[in-house]
Amino acid sequence: MNAFEMKHVNQTFGTGSAEVQVLHDVNFSAQPGTLSLIMGPSGSGKSTFLTIAGGLLTPTSGTVTVNGTDYHDRSKKERDALRLDEIGFILQTYHLLPYLTVADQLKLVTKVKPTGNLEPEALKQVLATLGIQDLLHKYPGELSGGQQQRVAIARALYPDPAIILADEPTAALDGERVKVVAQLLKTLAVQHQKAVVVVTHDARLVEAADQLYHMQDGVLTKAS
Amino acid sequence: MFLALKELKKEKLRSGLMIAMIVLISYLIFILTSLALGLARENTAAINQWGAQRIALNSTANTDLRQSFLTQQQVGKLSQKEALIGETSVVAKASGHKQLSATFIGLKSHQFIAQNLKLAGGRPVRHAYEVVADDSLKRAGYHLNSQLKLNDTAQKFTIVGFTKNAKLNISPIIYGQLTTWQSLRNMVNGPVGSAIVSKDSHYKTTQKGVKVYSKQQVINKLPGYTAQNMTFMLMIGFLMVISLIIIAVFLYILTMQKLPNYAVLRVQGIPSKVLVGATISQSVLLVLSGLAIGALLTAITAIIMPAAVPMAFDLTILGAVGVGLLIMALLGGLIPVRSVLNVDPISVIGG
Ligand SMILES: Nc1ncnc2c1ncn2[C@@H]1O[C@H](COP(=O)(O)OP(=O)(O)OP(=O)(O)O)[C@@H](O)[C@H]1O
Ligand SMILES: [Mg+2]
Repeated sequence: MNAFEMKHVNQTFGTGSAEVQVLHDVNFSAQPGTLSLIMGPSGSGKSTFLTIAGGLLTPTSGTVTVNGTDYHDRSKKERDALRLDEIGFILQTYHLLPYLTVADQLKLVTKVKPTGNLEPEALKQVLATLGIQDLLHKYPGELSGGQQQRVAIARALYPDPAIILADEPTAALDGERVKVVAQLLKTLAVQHQKAVVVVTHDARLVEAADQLYHMQDGVLTKAS
Repeated sequence: MFLALKELKKEKLRSGLMIAMIVLISYLIFILTSLALGLARENTAAINQWGAQRIALNSTANTDLRQSFLTQQQVGKLSQKEALIGETSVVAKASGHKQLSATFIGLKSHQFIAQNLKLAGGRPVRHAYEVVADDSLKRAGYHLNSQLKLNDTAQKFTIVGFTKNAKLNISPIIYGQLTTWQSLRNMVNGPVGSAIVSKDSHYKTTQKGVKVYSKQQVINKLPGYTAQNMTFMLMIGFLMVISLIIIAVFLYILTMQKLPNYAVLRVQGIPSKVLVGATISQSVLLVLSGLAIGALLTAITAIIMPAAVPMAFDLTILGAVGVGLLIMALLGGLIPVRSVLNVDPISVIGG
């Protein structure tokens, strides 16, 4: 089964002469255990794609299904819950709450979603893989950019989502770091059976991808 | 609550400043309220202590006790529930003491005011040239059997007793006999008193030239009383509004700074409810701690404040003021809630 599927999605902004079509009949699916990479130049519609994928924006037309349920059939509240449960967002800017320690960033998830999160053992494992197991009592302000990003990744993984959506996760990183993050995303997909969807214009990630797509002026095409 | 507490803990300086501000505002409001209440009590303590319900004055006196004179005919026959009083302002003098402005109230010893007067020492007045004084005269150095002159009388008066809460229009009362009042006023053959005080709320009189007022009507006409109360009410009201604005502005700024973070939380599926809860509980926490410290300072002030300062600390009234401040803070806290609800998660996706 597809963890995530988009069918005939169109997105237009504005009306009349100001109308722009940002996505044209986008069809996309992602399976658990795979890393999908969507490459495209600036302004091609990548972020719009992610916004729709996360249920934050209802497309002008077309359907989006997550684990078999259509966003359309869900209330705003249920979509919030779905994002919390099933979708881990990794944003380009990691924006961790400055007044929560790393441990508290994770605790916040428990407060809102008491069950279905990673078991303590599994969490330990993730933190160790990310190399942040010793940073639990630090505030974001005391961490380097790379460390903050790894915390943001841990934060996204903690609710044990089926799907990981990442927006330009490597934009601010140097070559060495890019390899580490690419490796990590790959590990997530393969070892944890997540459907990982990464949107980027960073060609350095291509090697890690199982599926490669190109986005050009809102048209998504699959590369071989 | 989790978020609010964590934030207060991390941002100690910021929260500290905010709390300090609320402490100052609430302390100021508490003190002003106590002062207003204290002054109001010193204006009305005696009238309240008498248990007056209705007060009959000369109808041409403009509801002013000081301007009212009643003739024997106007007074007529009084029941057990009425008492005739004579009021005049006096200056008490005694060698070795500063001059002291006071209010002389002449009473008839068989009527209810004299009968019910609670003494804090000494005995009731039995003869002319004997007086019972407010115990603030003790603070001025007088004691039982002290002698004093009233105005420029040749005769000396002896303090035979003290009583508490004998204050009218912020000046201490010296109680004596009604005949003494007549001689102090040089009206031996004229009016017999200033007012009829009744503890019967249905008291009426048919005498010409006499009008019956409620206790509150007379109190409101005490010199300066209404103006004073209005001034305090206005100050307290303004402070309430100012605190509302300050708290609203600060919470607004604090919240605005967090909106990008909140947008990320929204992307992650944290419900708006949680974020709104954090904002509101943050304002409640800040204001409650501010109020608590403000109340503590007020309590300390109440203990160390000299008795001469007219301050009255009434828990119910201060409690109501505290609740008022809390409501103001909650209203102030609601303003940023709007922006929290309107946080657009899409704004943090992109780049
Ligand atoms: N709310 C909106 N209203 C109107 N036009 C929009 C809106 N959001 C996006 N667009 C337009 O849609 C197009 C695609 O935007 P999008 O942010 O998806 O691009 P992107 O591929 O993420 O670019 P980048 O690599 O620079 O982040 C752009 O031309 C943009 O101007
Ligand atoms: Mg973008």
